[in-house]
Amino acid sequence: MSQKLWQSDWFGPFLVTIAAIVIVSLFNPSFLSPFNIQILLLAISVNAIIAFSQMIIIAIGQMNLSVGAVGGLAAISFGGIMEVWGVPWPIAAALALGIGFLAGIANGVLCAYTGISAFVITLATLSVFKGINLGITEAQPFYEIPETVKALGNETFLHPLPWLVIPVILAAFLLWNLLFRLPLGRAILAVGGNEHAAELSGISVPFIVIVAHAVSGLLAALAGIMLVGRLQIGQPTIGDDWLILSFAAPVIGGAILTGGHVSVAGTFLGVAIVAIITQVLVLFSIDPFLVQVVLGGLILWAVGVNRLREVRAHRKSAAGAR
Amino acid sequence: MRGVFNAQGVLKTFPGVTALEDVSLTLTQGSIHALLGENGAGKSTLIKVMTGVYRPDAGSMTLAGAAYEPQNTHDAIAKGIGVVHQERNLIPRFSVAENIFLELMADQPLRRIDYPKLYRDARRWLDMLEIDADPATPVERLSVARMQLVEIAKALSLNSQILMLDEPTASLTPHETDTLFGILRRLRDDGVSLVFVSHKLEEVQEICDSVTVLRDGRNACESRPLEGLGRQDIVRLMIGRSEMIPDWSARDRTGDRPVLELSGVSTGIGHSNIDLSIHKGEIVGVYGLVGAGRSELAKAILGKFEVTAGDVMVDGRRADIRSVADAVGRYRIGYVSEDRKGEGLILIHSVLENVGIPIWRRLAKLGGFLTKGHVRKQTEPYIRKLEVRTPSLEQNVGNLSGGNQQKVSVAKWLAAEAKILIVDEPSIGIDIKTKAYLHELIRELSDAGTALLLITSDMPEMIALADRIVVMSDYRVMGEIVNNRDYRAMSEGIMGLIQDNEASAA
Repeated sequence: MSQKLWQSDWFGPFLVTIAAIVIVSLFNPSFLSPFNIQILLLAISVNAIIAFSQMIIIAIGQMNLSVGAVGGLAAISFGGIMEVWGVPWPIAAALALGIGFLAGIANGVLCAYTGISAFVITLATLSVFKGINLGITEAQPFYEIPETVKALGNETFLHPLPWLVIPVILAAFLLWNLLFRLPLGRAILAVGGNEHAAELSGISVPFIVIVAHAVSGLLAALAGIMLVGRLQIGQPTIGDDWLILSFAAPVIGGAILTGGHVSVAGTFLGVAIVAIITQVLVLFSIDPFLVQVVLGGLILWAVGVNRLREVRAHRKSAAGAR
Repeated sequence: MRGVFNAQGVLKTFPGVTALEDVSLTLTQGSIHALLGENGAGKSTLIKVMTGVYRPDAGSMTLAGAAYEPQNTHDAIAKGIGVVHQERNLIPRFSVAENIFLELMADQPLRRIDYPKLYRDARRWLDMLEIDADPATPVERLSVARMQLVEIAKALSLNSQILMLDEPTASLTPHETDTLFGILRRLRDDGVSLVFVSHKLEEVQEICDSVTVLRDGRNACESRPLEGLGRQDIVRLMIGRSEMIPDWSARDRTGDRPVLELSGVSTGIGHSNIDLSIHKGEIVGVYGLVGAGRSELAKAILGKFEVTAGDVMVDGRRADIRSVADAVGRYRIGYVSEDRKGEGLILIHSVLENVGIPIWRRLAKLGGFLTKGHVRKQTEPYIRKLEVRTPSLEQNVGNLSGGNQQKVSVAKWLAAEAKILIVDEPSIGIDIKTKAYLHELIRELSDAGTALLLITSDMPEMIALADRIVVMSDYRVMGEIVNNRDYRAMSEGIMGLIQDNEASAA
């Protein structure tokens, strides 16, 4: 079965995205105005990084509940380092990324060596990271964000493309490369597909688990840093509302929650669909709280579609094997 | 001869495939009926039609004289047709008694469970099947053989008049198989109709009264007495030609240099003082009953379990194997697992992916990146060589037949150029044709210089393939026999070594 276009994971979400864009712009031409596209891309950028952060953990068949807490911790570290110590923003960003990376390693080491499920471990570390965040900030934001950072978080480098899309394109490319071209990434998917088989094929499972969590932490921190630029403030509540989206987008993009199968393009389109729907509700002045309901519906729809494909494939193979 | 169950002209098609065509089967009361055929011949489909999983597209079935049209499995069970599937269908953490009565309990979801009564009722079935277990024990603590018996108890507790057993002996030792057969005979004498599906023809000849053979979804023979049919006749019915019994001469490879040597090895999971050596191009068989510690020894060699004493030498030098990654990467040791689906393959990934895993690292060293084309170039020759039947290399391994899955498992290690290959129960659930092919392949591999450790409970397979046979019991090596390929002498020698241990333990 050579992968046919319509069988690939991103094709369904791609059609939905295109259809949504066409329909919405017919009803409301301002949807395709450069300004609106810029707003849309800003939202998509940060959310895509958040979704990628969860996707890499889904790839090994685990869950990371601490994505938002790590992102929040990195965000306030970024703001705090600049405000309190007056450190230039690139160095502060690097340090904040380092904090996310270490947080991810901590998650990974605990998951790899304790034998406790990632769900429980990241639930615990979520609380720990959030606690550190609140301990440092006392729930007060850091306000003194350099103008450059604010500009990078909101302005465009090529109208209507905001600066924030650059890290997304980079991250997407690197992740795709990792998961589909590098042995390290293939091993991540192998561990998610069947941990025992992976181990007996000579893959070091604990190492792979740590790597996946480290990448997840790094990406969560990146999302936190980008959000500081976009909100122009080091807000301690950054990350609190990431969890649902972080699962929704990869699942809409065809990821299998038991591991071994994710799609970078699909996840990105999942984020785009959620962003477009959110925008539509705003454009048609529908209550924004409905977004949550719609998001929940989308998850169910996506899981349903995946399930349907599975059942079909199963039937086909049952028939083939007799 | 009026049958208790009768199927006539059953047709079942799936999109693009005709799985069953004009298939008939008659079961008589108080008999054991063999249902035979190669993988893909339609046995499973027929069982599924009989148990209400599939609805036939044409044909009719009668049960005790009345029309039988099960709407679903529940319906089939209610009408007295029970099945013990090849895969375990027990809930590991539930007690033996709860597992036996699961269906009955599900009928009354709101009634409080009377555990003492449940245990008493279960005891009746356990006694009948001579299962020496407390009904309150969680099933996960039982041996595989006892789990099998619990499944039979479960089917019988539903008052099954027809009981179908799909490969019931696949994971049983000869002794456990004998016990099971005793029970099956007693059930037969009590009037139950049994359908016995197995790849082991010796067993079929031992226990069955009549036989139906399917080939390519059609009857190759229908419900005829087994009497007068020889093994070769059955094989001819199944595959349309006689089984080829390899007539390989005995070899002595002990003169060649040793590739893997264990001396006085003890492990963290209980092996003590294991001595074992494999020379270049040699096949060393490890025989032992289930629980003798054979697969565990393989995994200790692979670095999955700790070696606490003694030396492991690879190519004459002391090997320090700390992890499976070490064993595969540094020492080129490969392991074909007995549990293909559980730990051998990644079912949701493609053929190409699975075969490529052990060489990703090596391929990456050349250029840093993996491209599909590159992986394909390195693995395709081996996949071709093993004649893996797959529509394409992108096909998910989960969709292939058991035999082809096994070929993929072996191709993986050929591509990895393993110097030492441990093959654990290579022919479980594989049809005769593929099995013969696999045997040739293993022999060829050894001729090409690979050192092979063969773990199998299939005595004919052991005697066909191994150059030397090491007998294990209780995590120890009981002795070693040079295989002269005389079946009788060899099997007696092996059994002798195992019994020595049991005698000394008693």
